[in-house]
Amino acid sequence: METLSLYVDRDSPVHRVDPISKLLYILAATAIPIILPSLLTAAVVLAISVALLLLGRTFRRVIPLISVIVFVLLTILIIQGLFRAGNVTPLFQLGSLIFYREGLLYAVRISLRVINIMLAFAILILTTKPSDLFETLVRKGLSPRIGYVLSSVLQIIPQMQNTVGTITDAQRSRGMETEGSLAVRLRAFIPLIGPVVMSSLTQTRERSIALEVRGFSAKGKKSFLNEEIQEPYHRFIRWGLLLSIILALVWRVAA
Amino acid sequence: MKKIIVDNLKYRYPSAQELALKGISLEIEKGQFIGVIGPNGAGKSTLCQALVGLVPHFYHGAYGGSVVVGGLEVLKSEISALALKVGLVFQNPFTQVTGAKLTVYDEVAFGLENMGLDRAEMIERIDRALTLLDIYRYKDRNPFDLSGGQMQRLAIASIIAMKPQIIVLDEPTSQLDPQGSEEVFRAVDKLKSEGMTLVMVEHKIEKIAEYADKVALLSGGELVDFDRPIRVFSRPDLERFGVAAPVYTRICRDLKIKDEKTGLYPITLEGAVAAVGSLE
Amino acid sequence: MKREGMWSLKLSTAALVLIPVAIGINYIGKFFAELLRLPLWLDSIGTALASMLAGPIVGALSGAINNIIYGLTVSPISFVYAITSVAIGLTVGIMAYKGWISNLWKAIVMGLVVGLVAAVVSTPINIGFWGGQTGNVWGDALYAFLLAHNYPVWLASFLDEIVVDIPDKVATIVVAFAIFKGLPKGLISLFGGGKEIEKL
Ligand SMILES: Nc1ncnc2c1ncn2[C@@H]1O[C@H](COP(=O)(O)OP(=O)(O)O)[C@@H](O)[C@H]1O
Ligand SMILES: [Mg+2]
Repeated sequence: METLSLYVDRDSPVHRVDPISKLLYILAATAIPIILPSLLTAAVVLAISVALLLLGRTFRRVIPLISVIVFVLLTILIIQGLFRAGNVTPLFQLGSLIFYREGLLYAVRISLRVINIMLAFAILILTTKPSDLFETLVRKGLSPRIGYVLSSVLQIIPQMQNTVGTITDAQRSRGMETEGSLAVRLRAFIPLIGPVVMSSLTQTRERSIALEVRGFSAKGKKSFLNEEIQEPYHRFIRWGLLLSIILALVWRVAA
Repeated sequence: MKKIIVDNLKYRYPSAQELALKGISLEIEKGQFIGVIGPNGAGKSTLCQALVGLVPHFYHGAYGGSVVVGGLEVLKSEISALALKVGLVFQNPFTQVTGAKLTVYDEVAFGLENMGLDRAEMIERIDRALTLLDIYRYKDRNPFDLSGGQMQRLAIASIIAMKPQIIVLDEPTSQLDPQGSEEVFRAVDKLKSEGMTLVMVEHKIEKIAEYADKVALLSGGELVDFDRPIRVFSRPDLERFGVAAPVYTRICRDLKIKDEKTGLYPITLEGAVAAVGSLE
Repeated sequence: MKREGMWSLKLSTAALVLIPVAIGINYIGKFFAELLRLPLWLDSIGTALASMLAGPIVGALSGAINNIIYGLTVSPISFVYAITSVAIGLTVGIMAYKGWISNLWKAIVMGLVVGLVAAVVSTPINIGFWGGQTGNVWGDALYAFLLAHNYPVWLASFLDEIVVDIPDKVATIVVAFAIFKGLPKGLISLFGGGKEIEKL
């Protein structure tokens, strides 16, 4: 069985960096362009993220993630370029539509922000095993009970995907209406989800029992089967990232 | 030495009107194998869950009397403390997997991590449990990729690794195919030969006849009988409790072949052969 | 049977196990809505059920973790909408506790309230991230029309969101309500029942 994850199994320097540093990078890549809101800052962050993804040999996997939002970003460009309040300087004209400089700049700014956040997250997601991320968080003080919930979601969704596949096949062979009018399709919804939902809710009792008898609610300190991997340079990265956020703040206040 | 002392145990589930257990008393010695039988709804699973503390601590509801397991009074102990004394394996192999671990090896570690054991101790216990249950070779697989019988053995291994003194098995084969059932029964053989104290609910009555030192017959939340298997299975009213006697008992009863010494119908193949042999 | 207070922070094991299931149900809802080409998302049925069964805290956690996991596995943008999911979980949990799931009509009213809350919370996010759009064709068409007629961005964006959210959340709550009413009593008491042991 597969688990749900976008992780790409490679051996790269980026993969070897610990999850906490990657979380801090997301913080820095989001915060710094907000603290210093110039197009240049956003472009620099963008360049660093792209470089890290190339170094992690996962750049190609980002493209499908980005292409999902490209369509929305395009509509933003069009709508803001045409209609944004404060549009005064016409830039170019397509037929009878006039695109304005202010609106287009605003749209570019928004798009850069969204893409920057996406890429920073992509570095974490593509180069970190979710199970490692969750375990690290639990070591750093996240409740192990929440850690359990996070890990089990990653297993439960593929299981649901399988179940859903079986149901649709069965319903199709019984001539279920997935076509037809909206009313017909709406009516098909409950019989489709009802049985899986019922059975998965019923199973929660036994699953809870299974956890309880294995000491899930024990009050004492938990231990870990896997050893924690700590490299001295991880601390450098973390401090470096924090420092860069602080520097940005100082710059903003000073300027 | 007494491992389990149940004294006048009464219990009602929070959403129920009727008592599920109506004053049960029994004592179980160290190293004994206790078979639990009775019709559906008799209270067998409720009794099992009372031994590990799920009744009352997980379900809440109304509780009376007392259960002492491995020296701990259940009502006053937490489930996680009881888990070190007594383990529970139940029907559905699928829901017994935690769902949070990606390999069989890590799955067994789950309980040990909760106990806070150190790494070396964990590895030793996991290796031993997986070997005992004959699933070591699947250690890197995803638990959900195992067959029913393998998953159920994984559930047993996960409990064994916590080193309880007592294991309660509630119909561990009822959702398995014949091959899976056979695998689980072989595991039960091993646990028995290790001298573990075992309590097992099982519909395959021949297995109870083969293993049990004593049989508890439950019906309607009451303990109807608690005695040696040969005595319980030769009750003339056994069928009234929805339990069919072992096939050898039924054959011997039809043929009117009794064991010479006890004057009762034999319950196992060996017993039947001996009884027939003594006819000549 | 006495119920535990609505805001109890002690998360029982049963309540925790409910969270992944709720997220799985959110997933199935979305999957079948797409399969049937319904003009609705129906991707928070599980969150609503978790809230009805185990209260606002568990509902809010289901919502938050739902978006965190989607952010980690499908699309990072989902993280920021965790706030909307939390608001949905809280609203359903509070209203259910106060008795708004006793019959279908009340449930429909709850759906309207949930839709309104979701739109109010999502609008600032939409403005911050997308300049106010939602990515939904009908909603965005309305948004473009309003902007072209010099309505303020926040109003255009709010209306863009709400034309999608109201029907979606009413349908979501009605489906969750129907499932909730079909659950066995023993299961419901597992999550919401009293936590004390009565002496016999
Ligand atoms: N979670 C529960 N909530 C309410 N009643 C229950 C629950 N589990 C079992 N019961 C009831 O308790 C009685 C005993 O059930 P159980 O112990 O499961 O019987 P058995 O395992 O012998 O079939 C039955 O009447 C059953 O309906
Ligand atoms: Mg049972």
